[in-house]
Amino acid sequence: MTITRRVFVKSGGIALFSLGFDPLFLGRAAYALARPRPTSPDHKVLVCLFQRGAVDGLNMIVPHGEAAYYAERPRIAVPRHDVIDLDGHFGLHPALAPLKRFWDDKTMAAIHAVGSPDSTRSHFDAQDYMESGTPGVKATTDGWLNRYCRHDQEHQTGAFRAVAFGPELPRALAGSAPALAIDDLQAFGLRAPQDAARDKLTRAFEALYEGAATGLLASSSQEGFEAVQQLRQANPTQYRPGNGAAYPRGRIGRALLRVAQLIKANVGLQIAFLDATGWDTHVNQGASDGQLAARLQELGGALAAFATDLGETMRDVVVLTMSEFGRTIHENGNSGTDHGHATAMLLLGGAVNGGKMLGRWPGLDPAARFEGRDVAVTTDFRDLFGEVVARHLGGADLAAVFPGHAADPAKFPGAIRT
Amino acid sequence: MRNDRQLGSWAAGVAALVMSLAAQPSSPLAAQSLSPRDSALHALNRLAYGPRPGDVDRVAAMGTLRWIDQQLAPDRLDDHALALRERGFPLLAMSRDDLARAYLDAQRARRERQRDAGADSTMRPGLNADATDQTPAALRARRLAGELQQLAVMRAAVSERQLQEVMVDFWSNHFNVFFGKGADRFLLPDYIEHVIRPHALGKFEDLLVATARSSAMMFYLDNWQSVAPGSQPPQFARALVRRPELAARMPQGINENYARELLELHTVGVDGGYTQADVIAVARILTGWGIERPQQGGAFAYHDWAHDRGAKVALGDTFPAGHGEDEGMRLLHLLARAHATMHHVAHQLCARFVADDPPDGCVDDAVAAWQRSDGDIRAVLHAIFHGPDFWAPQNVANKVKTPLEFVVSAVRATGADPDTTLRLAQVVARLGEPLYLHVAPDGYPERQDDWVNSGALLARMNASVGLAAGRLPGVTVALDTLVPPSLDVAALLDAIDRRMLGGAMSAHTRAVITQQLADVADPVARRNLAIGLALGGPEFQKQ
Repeated sequence: MTITRRVFVKSGGIALFSLGFDPLFLGRAAYALARPRPTSPDHKVLVCLFQRGAVDGLNMIVPHGEAAYYAERPRIAVPRHDVIDLDGHFGLHPALAPLKRFWDDKTMAAIHAVGSPDSTRSHFDAQDYMESGTPGVKATTDGWLNRYCRHDQEHQTGAFRAVAFGPELPRALAGSAPALAIDDLQAFGLRAPQDAARDKLTRAFEALYEGAATGLLASSSQEGFEAVQQLRQANPTQYRPGNGAAYPRGRIGRALLRVAQLIKANVGLQIAFLDATGWDTHVNQGASDGQLAARLQELGGALAAFATDLGETMRDVVVLTMSEFGRTIHENGNSGTDHGHATAMLLLGGAVNGGKMLGRWPGLDPAARFEGRDVAVTTDFRDLFGEVVARHLGGADLAAVFPGHAADPAKFPGAIRT
Repeated sequence: MRNDRQLGSWAAGVAALVMSLAAQPSSPLAAQSLSPRDSALHALNRLAYGPRPGDVDRVAAMGTLRWIDQQLAPDRLDDHALALRERGFPLLAMSRDDLARAYLDAQRARRERQRDAGADSTMRPGLNADATDQTPAALRARRLAGELQQLAVMRAAVSERQLQEVMVDFWSNHFNVFFGKGADRFLLPDYIEHVIRPHALGKFEDLLVATARSSAMMFYLDNWQSVAPGSQPPQFARALVRRPELAARMPQGINENYARELLELHTVGVDGGYTQADVIAVARILTGWGIERPQQGGAFAYHDWAHDRGAKVALGDTFPAGHGEDEGMRLLHLLARAHATMHHVAHQLCARFVADDPPDGCVDDAVAAWQRSDGDIRAVLHAIFHGPDFWAPQNVANKVKTPLEFVVSAVRATGADPDTTLRLAQVVARLGEPLYLHVAPDGYPERQDDWVNSGALLARMNASVGLAAGRLPGVTVALDTLVPPSLDVAALLDAIDRRMLGGAMSAHTRAVITQQLADVADPVARRNLAIGLALGGPEFQKQ
């Protein structure tokens, strides 16, 4: 029988407990406090925010210096006087105004013309590829974030290392490394009507599993109870955002608030993943106002609140937005846009090489377009994600995270300060 | 009638005996060290979704090998209780066309709503994509989708033909189709009912051909869009004159997706010795294998206009020019009999029934039975169940239950009654295995590493405590007749161990539960806590 590193590491954790630490749940508070905190100064956090439905990159980061943009979108282009200029050529959609100060203090960057080398325009396939990290290969069973966790054992920090904020584990986090899907922080753990009953149940199950024969069952339950205990100390019901940050209503703000909460609780969160839906704007997408503007407003407000809330801690955090593909350059007959190819992504955080547009802009010239209609991809998303993994998280083995893709720092878009 | 049945089972018994004698020198049960009750429990944990109260005694009394033979001949097992339950599932009375209509209605209603409101849809793989859509059409479509999942859970819990249900789950994953992809939202029920279920214990080749000739699989793995380069449907030329923009939307050539998974997952396996050139050749052989009306729930159809009639060489076999649909059938026939296929599938079966990393001997026995029987799944399983590895002590209780296995076995252990609402399937989903919603074509995994993690275990503990307290949605429990409330802890634990855990409760578990019950004064609360801890504890996670 081969003992995998994962089982070995976990069994090591169990062995520690048999060396005289109080094994029972309630007696463990002292131990949990005494334990070296996972947040050493080099503990980095990556927050991935997936804009499902294919965001219109051209109206999110507007190429207002491009006449073709206005010619192709008579009804839905964002007028020049509404765009918040970034570098004379590109600007933020006005609904993203709260993010401008992060651009100015050089902790936010945007990249255009990023996407998948695969040409699919199916949401299903393209999301699948962006999460598996293997465009064109459907048989990949795990996600790129899970592969990162599996191969970078140095940063193994317990049950909260990789957390998806939603009811199901997303494809990006699926795989053999442990990852949690948490829909509601307050409900994580055993459920019972009263605290006393819950503590009793917790003690009982903890004792049952401590004597379990199978290493993986025993160590996983151990991890689970540790997580419950850590979370108890973090006290999710009492959380107040820092620095007067106000999260907007809605799913994105709620999820980012939880991420901030876990980061501040020092429970070892390294990878956070959340979804934002509602970007598939085929009909009436709007320009400065309207449907897309409403979604961007929630996104921008939530990201700004998150960065404000974390304050100094943003030094160790990078938020990366992503979306499966972009949308057509030309507006369609319903004042919307159809499925396109390349899109834009945002990076926010202290490590970000901010205040600049990244990547190579191919332009909207018909000759430069993908299949004659869409923004061409000039940055393979794996080169962007790979750079974040390598330079922010310190991941050493990019070949394992993105199999079949030659890791080449020369192709990194320069998103992280070196 | 009765005599016939006895004669039949006697004949089957003799045949089984002859086969097992031919395969190994002595009876498998004589060689192993399990007691009759332990053997019965082991068989019930592997061939079935765990024992119901009384099952262990019943199977031990009749002889475990005889029970196994019965499970291998499911058609002879009376299953009227299941038939009654199935009447509560309107889905079963609907055709592919009916289902397609229900979904298309929902889609149309949504589009209209969007056009009116300027709202957009949220695209996310999964059935909850439109969870905010509360129109009657959308609710109905979601209800039907949930029904398919609940049907699987209900059948697994209730059917007397347990091995049949276990194998349906196995093949549903081996030939996985993702329920959330486009037309598969309405094609999948037909696929499960008429492709997977009838062949679950038949010949592998028949099952392989049935999946290849299903609109669900052709849609899921894109083969319906795979056409010989330059080909177009005969009626298309005229339409193109009217709407030239249609040309860009026509498939432009072969799509390798199905061809690759056919080799990698369905047949020879990733180490089956094929090359990229073989994948392309297989895709060319299968050009034209598609769907009659892809967006309306149509049946499988072969389109000769789309077929590549050139010569091909696939996996060392020559496919001469000029052939049509027949060469695809020849290919499937060759694949079904390839040694690599036998080994690949036999290995998966042994991983399901014996151990996550099955011993070579067990796989070899299964392959030998495959060869002797020309791919008869029943004969292959028979060889596995009669092999020494299946009964070896180190392979007893060495596998962790999947979420489906855990939920269904808990329902069975407590004699609980699943209702026809979708809630029990939702419990399975919450524990990590939303049925038919595995996105990738490899299906849900079998290994414990994929299922055991801290969040999942906490969820199982919560589900167990909820079930014991009668708070688990989707089932009715009547524990009083099974394990009457009592303050006598020893008697309580004896009853739970014997009637629910099949005697598997460890001394440690017994000691811990005994200690925990000490300060619970109310006999009902005491009984419920004991059951919740027993089902949520480590022994019950294993099979």
